[in-house]
Amino acid sequence: MPYALFTILVFPGFLFLSAVSLFAEFFDRRIYARLQNRKGPPWFQPLADFIKLAAKEDIVPREADLAMFNLAPIFALTAVVTAFFYIPLWGTRALCSFQGDLIVVLYLLTIPTLTFFLGGWYSRSLFSALGAVRSITQLFAYEIPLFISLLAPALLADTWSLSGIAAYYQAHPFYWLFNLVGFGVALVALLGKLERVPFDIPEAETEIVAGSFTEYGGKMLAYFRLAIDSEAVVGASLLAAVYLPFGLGLNPLLGFVLYLIKVFFIIGLIALLRTVFARLRIDQMIVFCWQYVAPIAFLQILFNLVLKGFVLG
Amino acid sequence: MKVIDKIIRWGRLKSPWIIHFNTGACNACDIEIIAALTPRFDLERFGVQLKGTPRHADILVCSGPVTRQIKDRLQRIYCQMPEPKFVVAVGSCATSGGVFQDCYNVLGGIDRAIPVDAYIPGCPASPQAIIDGVVKLLKKLEESE
Repeated sequence: MPYALFTILVFPGFLFLSAVSLFAEFFDRRIYARLQNRKGPPWFQPLADFIKLAAKEDIVPREADLAMFNLAPIFALTAVVTAFFYIPLWGTRALCSFQGDLIVVLYLLTIPTLTFFLGGWYSRSLFSALGAVRSITQLFAYEIPLFISLLAPALLADTWSLSGIAAYYQAHPFYWLFNLVGFGVALVALLGKLERVPFDIPEAETEIVAGSFTEYGGKMLAYFRLAIDSEAVVGASLLAAVYLPFGLGLNPLLGFVLYLIKVFFIIGLIALLRTVFARLRIDQMIVFCWQYVAPIAFLQILFNLVLKGFVLG
Repeated sequence: MKVIDKIIRWGRLKSPWIIHFNTGACNACDIEIIAALTPRFDLERFGVQLKGTPRHADILVCSGPVTRQIKDRLQRIYCQMPEPKFVVAVGSCATSGGVFQDCYNVLGGIDRAIPVDAYIPGCPASPQAIIDGVVKLLKKLEESE
């Protein structure tokens, strides 16, 4: 029992995830700064932001729904941390696993977007409501390509469990190279999920102030920011587990280092895309996702089915 | 409790988020404030970020004299910011009313409407002066608390 609590709360659970995600935010901001030819924030910046926000006054607008306003950030954080337990990090076994946990992880990662919507909607502010509606509109654009592209490696491995997928690709090295197109699709969809540039339409600060988070400040904003940072790390871990499953048989220490390298490689890619692109409009984003990204994801599924049926099977 | 207070103070000093509000300036100070936030000066080194909403911000950076029309809006934005909050007045007009002093539609400096913690004179105040003013405000906070 104490060991289970330790794994859930400290390593590789909540505290470990928080530490990695705060560092990931620094990493993202630092790369962004270096690509703009400036120095960038110091390594403790996200931690200082979190402490400062946590110590600030909490304001709940009089019009807002008190319960929904305060519960939304906590639900976002909880869902993200729960999803983390089902993802194999180093080695082929996750903390918990069962047949079908891939679907559970995908649904758990949808909950933060839903809480952005609910938190923004119940703030009862015009800007928050606009951001909320935009984030839920965006959800329908990127979620389908993400689901389809993550199902393709699962089809090849013939299992619905993330640990099973990792074990399959561990047994068949270099098979992960077949899924590289899916990796690209999933990365684009992850940008939408994390609401990063070019898909930061829901919190476009030049148009709608701060989107869903306009009325948030203090502790609740700190939780939301931690949830978004954690979601980036969990999303990167999910992509690393499904699309980059190599070197899983190494000893734990080397495997741990390799896992961190994979996660920060994906976060670095996201930072690079953030620097290169400018924000799209919501209609452009939806057309882009449905016209180009979703068909490519379907192609990946078709490719994997043909590969499985005629070449490998 | 002492240690926690120290950690909180450290967090506050290392992460000043600002919101910029034009209370009736001629736009020169606004351009200089934006210039101070560009990669050339890289204020993110000190953790400064420009925020769009007063709920996220710690420091209200005002430029220009307070016109009678904008006084209510300025006070409302000040009230929307969560404690602890600070106000920086940028430019000669913001500190005293400048050349608009005694105009029928102008109240005067920012301190006629809301309490001000730091004044940065200049017409317009240069980015270096703005950065210096913010750093001095942070120093004052470090010593006072």
